[in-house]
Amino acid sequence: MATATTFGTVLRELRQNRVAAVGLGITTFVLLAIAIGPSLSPYDPSMMDFTAILQPPSWAHPFGTNSFGMDVLTRVLYGARNSLLISIVGVVLGGGLGTLIGMTSAYVGRWFDAIAMRFVDLVFSFPIFVLALMLMLVLGFGVQNVIVAIAIVYIPNFARLARNTTMIVKSEPYVQAAQVMGQSRIRIMVREILPNIAAPLFVQFTVGLAFAIIIEAGLSFLGLGVQPPTPSLGVMMADGKDYFHRGPWVLTLTGLALMVTILGLNLLGDGLRDLLDPRLRRRSAA
Amino acid sequence: MTMHDSNGVGRRSFLKGAAAAGGMAVVTGPMLSRVALGQTRGGTLRAALLGFGVVNTLDPQKAGLNSDFFVLNTMFNTLVKFDGNMKIVPDLAESWTNPNPTTYEFKLRKGVKFHDGNEMTSDDVKFTIERVAAEATKSPNRAKFTVIDKIETPDKYTVRFITKQPFVPLLSFFTNTTTGAQIISRKALEKMGDEAFAKAPVGTGAFKFKEWKPGEKIGFVAHKEYFEKGLPYLDAVDIPLIPEEPSGITAILGGQIDIASTAPFADVPKLQQDPNITVSKTPGLNFRFVALNIQKPPFDDVHFRRALSLATNREAIVAAALFGEGSPMWGATPPAISWAFEKKPRELCVFNPERAKAELAKSKYKAGTEASVITWGSSWWKRWTEIFVAQVNQVLGVKFTIEVTEANTAFSRFRANDIQAETTGWIARVEADEYVPECFRTGGPRNFNQYSNPEVDKLVDASRVEFDQAKRGELLKKAEDLVVEDMPCIFTMNNNAHNMWTKKVKGFVPLPSQSFGNQFPPVSLG
Amino acid sequence: MGFLWYLTIRIGGALATVAVGSFLIFLIMKLAPGDPALAVLGESATPETIAAYHKEFGLDEPILVQFGIWAKMVLQGDLGKSIALAGKFPIKDLLATRLPITLFIGMYGLVIAVVISLIAGTAAALRHGKLTDTVATSIAVLGISMPDFWFSYVLILAFALSLDWFPSYGFTAPGESWIGAFHSGFLPALAIAAPMAGVFARILRASLLETARREYVTAARSYGFAAPFVFVHYVFRNAVIPFVTVLGLQVRYLLGGVVIIERVFGISGMGSLMVDAAFARDYPVVQACALTFLVGVLFVNLLVDIVCALLDPRRTR
Repeated sequence: MATATTFGTVLRELRQNRVAAVGLGITTFVLLAIAIGPSLSPYDPSMMDFTAILQPPSWAHPFGTNSFGMDVLTRVLYGARNSLLISIVGVVLGGGLGTLIGMTSAYVGRWFDAIAMRFVDLVFSFPIFVLALMLMLVLGFGVQNVIVAIAIVYIPNFARLARNTTMIVKSEPYVQAAQVMGQSRIRIMVREILPNIAAPLFVQFTVGLAFAIIIEAGLSFLGLGVQPPTPSLGVMMADGKDYFHRGPWVLTLTGLALMVTILGLNLLGDGLRDLLDPRLRRRSAA
Repeated sequence: MTMHDSNGVGRRSFLKGAAAAGGMAVVTGPMLSRVALGQTRGGTLRAALLGFGVVNTLDPQKAGLNSDFFVLNTMFNTLVKFDGNMKIVPDLAESWTNPNPTTYEFKLRKGVKFHDGNEMTSDDVKFTIERVAAEATKSPNRAKFTVIDKIETPDKYTVRFITKQPFVPLLSFFTNTTTGAQIISRKALEKMGDEAFAKAPVGTGAFKFKEWKPGEKIGFVAHKEYFEKGLPYLDAVDIPLIPEEPSGITAILGGQIDIASTAPFADVPKLQQDPNITVSKTPGLNFRFVALNIQKPPFDDVHFRRALSLATNREAIVAAALFGEGSPMWGATPPAISWAFEKKPRELCVFNPERAKAELAKSKYKAGTEASVITWGSSWWKRWTEIFVAQVNQVLGVKFTIEVTEANTAFSRFRANDIQAETTGWIARVEADEYVPECFRTGGPRNFNQYSNPEVDKLVDASRVEFDQAKRGELLKKAEDLVVEDMPCIFTMNNNAHNMWTKKVKGFVPLPSQSFGNQFPPVSLG
Repeated sequence: MGFLWYLTIRIGGALATVAVGSFLIFLIMKLAPGDPALAVLGESATPETIAAYHKEFGLDEPILVQFGIWAKMVLQGDLGKSIALAGKFPIKDLLATRLPITLFIGMYGLVIAVVISLIAGTAAALRHGKLTDTVATSIAVLGISMPDFWFSYVLILAFALSLDWFPSYGFTAPGESWIGAFHSGFLPALAIAAPMAGVFARILRASLLETARREYVTAARSYGFAAPFVFVHYVFRNAVIPFVTVLGLQVRYLLGGVVIIERVFGISGMGSLMVDAAFARDYPVVQACALTFLVGVLFVNLLVDIVCALLDPRRTR
């Protein structure tokens, strides 16, 4: 029972779930594109060519060129790579800390639980962009601070989820057996509880990743996030916004690419939730 | 503050509607312009303030932001004002003289009514200028007027300023610029008190205050007793604030505004082709440069600074960052102040990779030297920094990086000299004294990196007592020569100033003072 | 006793959150570099005028003292005056003009989102597994995958600049004209609504499907009640609870989205006020906005809990 939800089983079942399959397909496509795409592109993402600025889409430049005369498609591929990396690191960081807080909260309880959950409520009471924006003002702009902002935004989500799932798992017979056998708390948390709450956390990770990309894009769009010359989807959209009337394709097509990426992640998350949810329910009922 | 806008003052050249508007530049009387353009009466002009999100106060003597003055000039007049050729012409004063080098005497126009119905007299002028110079007022412009020793009012229509020592730039500070010399009603202020006045001021302008929605718009209605007979044509003016310049294009193309205080550089070519939009352009009254902390490594070495200047391709920056809407600079004085402007490019400010490397060889800093260049604000500003950094890195092999922050942080660090380097600039300064003297004289109010050269100081001081404009110009140019040799900053460029308006708007003449509020009296909608 | 006690605890917790939250925002703003004096005094500011400004607004006091002064003022019902953004405007006047605008746009967006999601979610659940379901679900996922600011520009390009159906920029306040407000507010409201509609529709579909499988629904069917009756009285009513809960949770996304959308469309609401104030370092205005947002979110969450309690059949029957 304890090892029922391995990722191997999940993957096998994924193929049978239509939504998840489409999501997996899109995500795989996006990952392949940003992994291989840049090396196939004949353009350097940071090469400025002021003789060819803001050119509309053509065969040579399927997404047109931006205000520096750079090929937008090439930059989208590099930019998506950065955006995705920033989001992954941010969510992993936030997810890790959040899970730690949540599990400790559920396991230790009492004052720790009370304080941690008040903190969670507090962060949950701030509009996301307002919170992120204020953080950027203090931290300063740039890649690392976008990651920190994303992490802070996500800590409460994971903390709450980890706490609630740990509460359920905690009362399972095998956890209690481990306690009786005198295993240490840390060992129980890592060995017994974590593997059994990993599935919903993973779903949250996928969906969180999707929204983290939007946060990165939004902050950079406002000029507070990633800064040029580092390409990210948000930076490129900010640039596209400034030259929207001369070259609307920069903003619209970059946004479209962003949307496809997020769509893939959302569908994948949905599919995974469908697959994993019944299992969770069965266990908690047992 | 050096904000995102791209406005300035200077000689206007017209891209479109040259016949009509060019005619206006010659025609001075409102009667003639009405005949010439067949203007109609009534309507509300929506005049967007583009690139600004904040208007802080409507009290001229407390105002400090360029955006404040854009709005203020709609409802106030000054003693004298700058015209389209950067010449000082009458406004509330009919004439003025210098009986001796320490005296300015103004004869006032008679029968000028404030919005509250009282007549404007020499007492109001005295009160206004004393107020801006008083310590208690806390005006950011106080220093501009501290040279005044006393103000005399021999009669209702004469006002005399006696200065402590001769000071030629003073006349410019009495104009429709950003120095806070807009004449207010003494009676109104004393009745209302400072705080109420700042929210609903009383002036003599063609439009009087109606409403202020902070961060959104300021509304005005026509002043029926305005001193220029028959004006204004409009019933009302609304000044909405649009913080992002590209949104201004969205608004004017969608018909939500009639005229805007600027036009984004990149969009100028496309707007020129739009039959419904007119764009004006002129060399702006601004000075864009890379500020350097000359007190600390690596910018404490003059050879290193010269190498950077020689490695900077200014034409490329103008083309790529300003989309061609500007010109390279080899000094601090902008071309719009033609009498003090050095027309011949200075060699140290002309792109020359060979010489740049030679200077680097003389420097104690070598290729691989690291430094961080701070930048902020709107997109073209960052573009400029990106291109500058790419250029010097390529030519000199230095390892400069960009640090982006936002305007307030950047400006406070610049002021505190808490930077290595920063792309920055000064805008909307009409007076030559606000460039080389204020930026580079020892202890000058804008000399934040404590540059000091006794020779420069001597020339600047001489220029301030020289009433002959041509001679004064020569002194300033000589001082500028010396400054450029020392290269306390990387003089970079000057950008054009634009206005854009729709077909509906008639009679708008973009005057050199960037405050378009001054130009509304002869404007009509159709 | 039970419900009242619960309510007291909840309100007490909310007030504590507001207090701690205000203090955190205060700290954050003070930690950020920059100076409101520079935002006010402009290029010509001198060290003397800057010092005078600091003294006038008490910015030379220790941070804790400043917070104490602010907190005391707020407890007396005074939000203070703007120090950098807009002269010395009383902040309550600023909020009085800005808050209704944001509420209008937010509610407008929320209504659009609820209408779309009710239709799409119900249709998808009723025609589970059919083409309608696939189409409705796909659109819903598309909705949540779009950054709202990007969608705003697409809307402006299509419906304002090309088709000229709606204004491209600016907003007519309901105070001036209701028709104007609904007209000029449509595109921004739609941009805010799109992602929310996606979230709502998915939740509604899922919970409708789940409720339909429950024993009491099967029982009701077996009694021979008509299908529409069963759907409305048994399925829909119960499925709406998670829907309302999510609605409450979405408030923070809604308000967050407003920050950017207001910028794009040139709407002078709370979002743009807070952003402008943060950039100008207008501390009291930022504080007041943060307080408003905090109270707003907490109030909505409280409301949602109460509504859910009322909707719960175990309570009403």
